[in-house]
Amino acid sequence: MRSRTGAWAFLLSGWMGMGLVAGSPAAALPEAPGSGALFVRGPNGGAWSMAPTLETDVALAVTGPLVRARVVQRFYNASDQWLEGVYVFPLPESAAVDHLDMTVGDRVIEGQIEEREAAKRIYERARSAGHKTALIEQERPNVFTTSLANIGPGEEIEVAIEYQEVLRWDDAGFRLSFPLVVGPRYIPGAPIVPATHAGTGAGAGWARATDVVPDAPRITPWVSHPQDGPIHPVRLRVELDAGLPLALVESPSHVVAIEKLGSGRRRVVMGDYADRDFVLEWRPEPSEETRTAIFSEAAPGGAHVLLMVMPPAAQEAKQPRLDREVVFVVDVSGSMSGPSIEQARRALLFALGRLDPTDRFNIVRFNHETHALFEGAVLAGADALETARHFVETLHADGGTEMLPALELALGADTGLAPVRQVVFVTDGSVGNEQELFGAIDRSLGRSRLFTVGIGSAPNGHFMSGAAKRGRGTHTYIVNPAETDQKMGALFRKLEQPVLADLEVDWDEAAEMWPVRVPDLYVGEPIVLAAKVERIHGEVAIRGRRAGDPFEWSQPLEVGEAGRGIGVLWARRKIASLLESQGRGADVSAVRAAVVAVALDHHLVSKFTSLVAVDVTPTRPAAEGLSQSALPTNLPAGWNAAKVGGVLPATATPGPWLRTLGLALLVLGTLLLIRKRFAIS
Amino acid sequence: MRGRSWLGLAAVVLGLGLLAQGVWIPAKAAAAQVLLDRAWERTRSGDERARPWPWADHRPVARIRVPRLEVSVIVLEGATGASLAFGPGHLAGSAPPGAPGNAVIAGHRDTHFAFLRELRAGDTIWIERPTGALRHYAVKATTVVDERDLSPLAESGEAVLTLITCFPFDAKAPGGPERYVVRAEGAGAGVGLR
Repeated sequence: MRSRTGAWAFLLSGWMGMGLVAGSPAAALPEAPGSGALFVRGPNGGAWSMAPTLETDVALAVTGPLVRARVVQRFYNASDQWLEGVYVFPLPESAAVDHLDMTVGDRVIEGQIEEREAAKRIYERARSAGHKTALIEQERPNVFTTSLANIGPGEEIEVAIEYQEVLRWDDAGFRLSFPLVVGPRYIPGAPIVPATHAGTGAGAGWARATDVVPDAPRITPWVSHPQDGPIHPVRLRVELDAGLPLALVESPSHVVAIEKLGSGRRRVVMGDYADRDFVLEWRPEPSEETRTAIFSEAAPGGAHVLLMVMPPAAQEAKQPRLDREVVFVVDVSGSMSGPSIEQARRALLFALGRLDPTDRFNIVRFNHETHALFEGAVLAGADALETARHFVETLHADGGTEMLPALELALGADTGLAPVRQVVFVTDGSVGNEQELFGAIDRSLGRSRLFTVGIGSAPNGHFMSGAAKRGRGTHTYIVNPAETDQKMGALFRKLEQPVLADLEVDWDEAAEMWPVRVPDLYVGEPIVLAAKVERIHGEVAIRGRRAGDPFEWSQPLEVGEAGRGIGVLWARRKIASLLESQGRGADVSAVRAAVVAVALDHHLVSKFTSLVAVDVTPTRPAAEGLSQSALPTNLPAGWNAAKVGGVLPATATPGPWLRTLGLALLVLGTLLLIRKRFAIS
Repeated sequence: MRGRSWLGLAAVVLGLGLLAQGVWIPAKAAAAQVLLDRAWERTRSGDERARPWPWADHRPVARIRVPRLEVSVIVLEGATGASLAFGPGHLAGSAPPGAPGNAVIAGHRDTHFAFLRELRAGDTIWIERPTGALRHYAVKATTVVDERDLSPLAESGEAVLTLITCFPFDAKAPGGPERYVVRAEGAGAGVGLR
């Protein structure tokens, strides 16, 4: 047995040192130069320093399934010192970040792609020389860090990054997600001792490095206390050109203003604080045809092609429905407290209602402990379902997030009594040990299929999609409690209908396609392929089978539209596939070299490459020092600070209060009664 | 005149009710400790599934002894409202009591952890683990902090015992923002007698 310790209760230690200057009670704080500025202090005390404030502008241009995003982070230094700002922020997990520019006054400096260590050295040299410099590093596919050095007193600097993304057709429409906050992650493992907190710069998050999550300090930005009000305002604008007449455009996450510009065009505007993910969904008017999108972009020595095919839904089931064994795994850790656990309960109750009496099921709940409802999966009879409903209704969320034992229990305990075995994993994915969990799924999946259901205002998309991919299942997000039934209904259609399997792709021309093997498809999901071809010529054909029925599709490549950024998307998929092969035993240094080569070629930020910009005009006088400060983030909306360790436990009973009040009432009552006696006599 | 009589009676009944509740809380806390103590002894003599009462879902993880104050309380896993009613709770995620690292235990100021106000620097605290192993801590400091100040939870890797309760001790109403923190540092280990 491995003994595991983890940090969750300790995780928000960051905000211990944080307070608003306005009306600050702490005498140790420096004098307030203005209202609303944020002061930060290292976890071990030390001097207070002022963090730069940050505003974010997001512009998303959507053309069909393609998204080009420009994210502008405006850092403002209200203090009288030279500052370095470090901000940990999220992006969609499939975002291909390929551009950085920094605006200082009227000068615009473009970023260059370098290997990660080289970029860091360039940044550090420029920082000590007093030059303004910006660095974008990738911590996880969906977590990035901006470092910006030498922001002068009273100065404002803009750092803009751009990325390319392809949206997936899902169920009946497209879903655009822009994450706005890195939720506090549970960090399992034993701390690597000794750990020194080196100031407050990058790598000084609230968590310490552990044997399981060695980069924990880099992905755990401090959290601003909810009582201090939200920070980091965000303005977001979507220019949507769907290419098809639109039936519905809506945001389940935010209040938005939608302006109609044409039958397939909309402008969507949102303004809020960065405390939950932004989600926009749209649905074209229904049509019977197989939907297809082909984009191509010329490249040196050939072209890149992106292909999205929506197979028509299966004909009414010709075969009897197969009995299933479904294991529901539900996360009841502290991060799920509040609206999230209510959504999870509702999702589970819905799922229980979809079981047939001949299906088998079990429920596993976990926080830092794992607990299964039944010893093994049981038939979904009335009694078992009643017990399960009671179990679900009494779930409450608290404690750490030790996901590994729960995952292994759910994947391992196959009764072998049902032809199909599915594991439905309901969680917000707020963990830092994604790699360890992915490894466990690779090892113990067996014949099971893993489906993730993302809950809450800021689920960890990297975990949700990565786990489903390795588990050969699919992922679903529930943003808004009101859409729980609809989303779970769509998931169950996928669970119940046969997959489109054995997919093969034929290109007339030689093609380098990523991923090399096309995964099985669930109903309502598209085939998405990216390939590099020598020339746009000939046909591409796709063949597969669904429950014995053949599926065939072909199209000439020439019909494709020209699309910008297709090469970048291809490179991003190639990098993801290469890194995944590493999890299955590919040589680490060979993978690294291949990733670096593709990333440098396509100007892409990756695990091994970063973008760095340096303004060669020196600004900070050598005599003046530079203070580092890590920018805190908001606690995701709906999270309960006390449940993730934001405050010390409450430790008083109402006993003394009740006794005092009781005695007082007793005395009062007696007096009233006695006075009445006197009145009578 | 009738109105006043009803009012008086209502006040007496309500007062008795509240008083009963107010007495029930410490009574439950004390009774639970008696049962926990028995279960703890059975656990120590090898019965791994010993439960203090049949429907108990809180696992005892350690016993705190303070010889000078003749204190002996059983600590439960988890510092949630439900577990704290029965005994002090060990914070999930902090080091196990008696192991290297910062073990954090919270308890109610008016029941199990009322003795914290009597602790003085230099006092000896013993932590007894389910295996019977003992670890010996010496009180170093007592401080009062805001509930949002998580510095008492900081992990240095050294053997530290952190005891937390609400402050001030004599406040009547629960829910105040201040916490009283006792920090004791590991001073050695011993082997308990079965």
